[in-house]
Amino acid sequence: MSHLEVRDVVKRYGQLTVLSGVSFAAEKGEFVVMVGPSGCGKSTLLRSIAGLEEIAEGSVSIAGRNITQAEPSDRGVAMVFQNYALYPHMTVAQNMGFALKVARRPKSEINAAVTRAAEILRITEHLAKYPKALSGGQKQRVAIGRAITRAPEVFLFDEPLSNLDAALRSQMRIELSRLHRELGATMLYVTHDQTEAMTMADRIIVMNGGNIEQIGSPLELYNRPATRFVAGFIGSPRMNFISAYVIETVGRSVSFSFGLELPPLKLEFAPGETLPAVGDAVILGIRPEALGDSGEVHLADAEVTVVEALGRETLVYSDAHALRTTDSESLDGYFAQLVPSQSDKKLGQHVSLWADRSAFVVFAADGTTLHDASPAHAHYK
Amino acid sequence: MAPSLTSTLGDTGKRPVLNAGNISASAMMAPALILVGVFILIPAAVAVIGSFFDFGMTSATWTFVGGANYRRAVTDPLFWLAISNNIFIVIGSVVSQVGGGAILAAILDRGIRRGSVVYRTIIFMPVVISSIAVAFVWMLILDPNVGPLNAIVKTLGLSPPRLGWLGDPAISLWMLLLIAAWQNVGFQMMLILAGLQAIPKEHYEAASLDGARGLKAFWYITLPGIRNVLVLATLITVIGGFKVFDLVFVTTGGGPANATQVLGTYTYTQAFSFGNMGYANAMAVVLLVTAALLGWLQVRLSRRA
Amino acid sequence: MTLRARSVAIGLHAFVSLWTLFVLVPVFVMVISAFKSQAELFTRPLALPRQFSFAAFERAWGIGISGFLVNSLLVTALSVLFIVIASSLAAYVLARSDKPVMRWVYVAIVAGFAVPLQSVMVPLYQLVSSAGLLNSRLAIALPYAAYGIPFTTMLFYTFFLEFPRELEEAARLDGCGRIEVFFRIVLPLSGPVIASAAIFQAVFNWNEFILALLMLTKTDVRTLPVGIYGLTGQYSADWPALMAGLAIATVPLIVIFLLAQRHFVRSLAGLGK
Repeated sequence: MSHLEVRDVVKRYGQLTVLSGVSFAAEKGEFVVMVGPSGCGKSTLLRSIAGLEEIAEGSVSIAGRNITQAEPSDRGVAMVFQNYALYPHMTVAQNMGFALKVARRPKSEINAAVTRAAEILRITEHLAKYPKALSGGQKQRVAIGRAITRAPEVFLFDEPLSNLDAALRSQMRIELSRLHRELGATMLYVTHDQTEAMTMADRIIVMNGGNIEQIGSPLELYNRPATRFVAGFIGSPRMNFISAYVIETVGRSVSFSFGLELPPLKLEFAPGETLPAVGDAVILGIRPEALGDSGEVHLADAEVTVVEALGRETLVYSDAHALRTTDSESLDGYFAQLVPSQSDKKLGQHVSLWADRSAFVVFAADGTTLHDASPAHAHYK
Repeated sequence: MAPSLTSTLGDTGKRPVLNAGNISASAMMAPALILVGVFILIPAAVAVIGSFFDFGMTSATWTFVGGANYRRAVTDPLFWLAISNNIFIVIGSVVSQVGGGAILAAILDRGIRRGSVVYRTIIFMPVVISSIAVAFVWMLILDPNVGPLNAIVKTLGLSPPRLGWLGDPAISLWMLLLIAAWQNVGFQMMLILAGLQAIPKEHYEAASLDGARGLKAFWYITLPGIRNVLVLATLITVIGGFKVFDLVFVTTGGGPANATQVLGTYTYTQAFSFGNMGYANAMAVVLLVTAALLGWLQVRLSRRA
Repeated sequence: MTLRARSVAIGLHAFVSLWTLFVLVPVFVMVISAFKSQAELFTRPLALPRQFSFAAFERAWGIGISGFLVNSLLVTALSVLFIVIASSLAAYVLARSDKPVMRWVYVAIVAGFAVPLQSVMVPLYQLVSSAGLLNSRLAIALPYAAYGIPFTTMLFYTFFLEFPRELEEAARLDGCGRIEVFFRIVLPLSGPVIASAAIFQAVFNWNEFILALLMLTKTDVRTLPVGIYGLTGQYSADWPALMAGLAIATVPLIVIFLLAQRHFVRSLAGLGK
């Protein structure tokens, strides 16, 4: 039995269903990150596990104990909030020891727990201060310290880094990973930032519209996205999506057309992958880092419209007039391309978009993945 | 009242822990609800019911008389006099208190830099003084025998009113308006001042870049900015004008010759001097309905903005 | 500054100064009259007293002001305590509950704000007298509390709506029950709004007249406003004593107002919401 088990959880606000039968499990000591766009239900799920939201159906158990009906404080969880939620009228030490005080533990035990947590987080010199005297990063440490003193079975984090500036955020990411190793605790972490998810998680849960799209390790999600949604959400910049339809299937090789003026594309499907039927509308996906000046397939000719120098790499958007990407989040149907900076692309320059066959992913019209790219494609072209 | 609330709040029974939470919710709600219910809402309902009966202060028997109390009011010239006096006070108060308060607030907000806090504090001070004290102090000032006002008027070579400032039916109501303004202008001033100060300075700066200064800025920035507060101040004054009691009761008692009789004092007189409880209730209901309508208007107008 | 701007500024100052003077004169008259003899009050109404005499204060104190003062303190303290406790509890539940019935509860409480005391004086008098609570200083604190609750509940309600919920959720996770969350987290952080509400209601109840007139008919239980009103019948000619009594009733409030002005203004601003 897993350390944390969530089974068929349903949550409704009036008519609106925000969680429609969500299930997953986390092993002891695992760092699991729930990621998804705002409104996908990830925070609601976290708060339901904490007992701050009442669920309509389903069950939650921690360390083998069914805690679906339990009070928040009886669940063996501690939570770190986005806005820290430190009690302004208590000192740092009182904040960290409050839960033990409410539980009427002896003073010596409270002091010991607070001291130990403060040492782990290196905030010992701030213990006598009030929260308003602390910086954002220090407040976040206190909030984490408050969770540590409770020695919970599961740590819950609700977008804890989103109020910090970029530099501090990446520092805290590293510290949280260190903390996770040191404590060996089970952690469940909610964020909308896929970088946080990729860098910290043992496993990522991608959520969308109240459902879990996919659960897997960061690289599994990147290399073998189960759905078009996951493919678009994981990886930055986003994958390019192109509408196509199937014109021919011979054995396991399938030919796709992008339109009359453009040459068809033939891909080999692996054994076990579902073959689409002739005439099916599909979506092809290709990552920006897999588009280049050379390769097995010439996709289209294009004109560079936007150039964003990122340093080592440059993000190039180009307009392939005859072929447009189909994605509500893409820029005017342009192709995104991640190239080494020395390739020196200029605005208005004419380029050819090339890729290897193994870099293409194929999604059915309903968004499920029919054909995976080979992991080897993820190098610059 | 509390147990029935608990049962309506009670959950499906699925989650005992949350049910406990609901019991504490209704326990927390109970003191306020019971007090408001027992001392405000139920008496208001009883006043409405009682207005259809005839009964005295000590008599236990209520006689149903239908709309007789209301018919009596319609044909009672004193009732209409009281109403018209209330309306006079309402209009006079809006002009003097909201108008005066707005002018003072505008000056203190933008016209005066030095000493504005001192002015503000002094002008607001009468608001915290009880209307009984206000009434008596002004009775002393306006007293025909010992009052300083008569002394001043005489030294100026003028003759004060022969019947006294409050004793002359032609001017007593005006005197009450003056006293009410003395006490309440500070309240309206503070309310409007808060509204003025809530207008962001950037709006004026943006307007001046667009060429709107002075009167134009007042018209396009200030006035829309304090529209809500002005509506609120006016409604508070209107409701206050209909509810006026203490000041009139102590200074003139509704006299001389009913010249300052208002709904509040007339209701009190009918109830506790003449023992016409049913009739008093009917007039009380008129006041209640007026106040309720104005209160509803206040909520509507503030929500729309 | 141009001449025109300067004269406008002078005119504005003059208007405000005149009104300020107009406000001060009656207060001044009240205070100086309390230190005068009856004869001096008559002969030199506007002048400062020749010698400050406390005789009028002694007379006022002797005929019952001391008792009224105690009664006012008692009734005000008690009613404000009731108001703060009942309103904060109710407003907290209203601000946190999503049960549809609470909308109606809120409407019911706020409706109390629209009911003028004068329109319920007959039923209220009968209720209180039939309950045998006439002339009880404790009992009058209850209707006083009732009439303070609607406004105070609205004031607390808007405050609690803006109160960070995460703090309460953190406390729930830390093991606090609903009532503990309220008393250990919410209430300690509500100091300013409680002070505003308490001062506002204290002034209101200290000055209240109609209810006291109806319910406190015996001299020894009366509060200052109705007590002084009752005395004027007996001692109608003694203006200095009357003014001394009013000064005793008024000066504490003015001092409190001067000390706690910002709380007062905050409460006023709450009206605008």
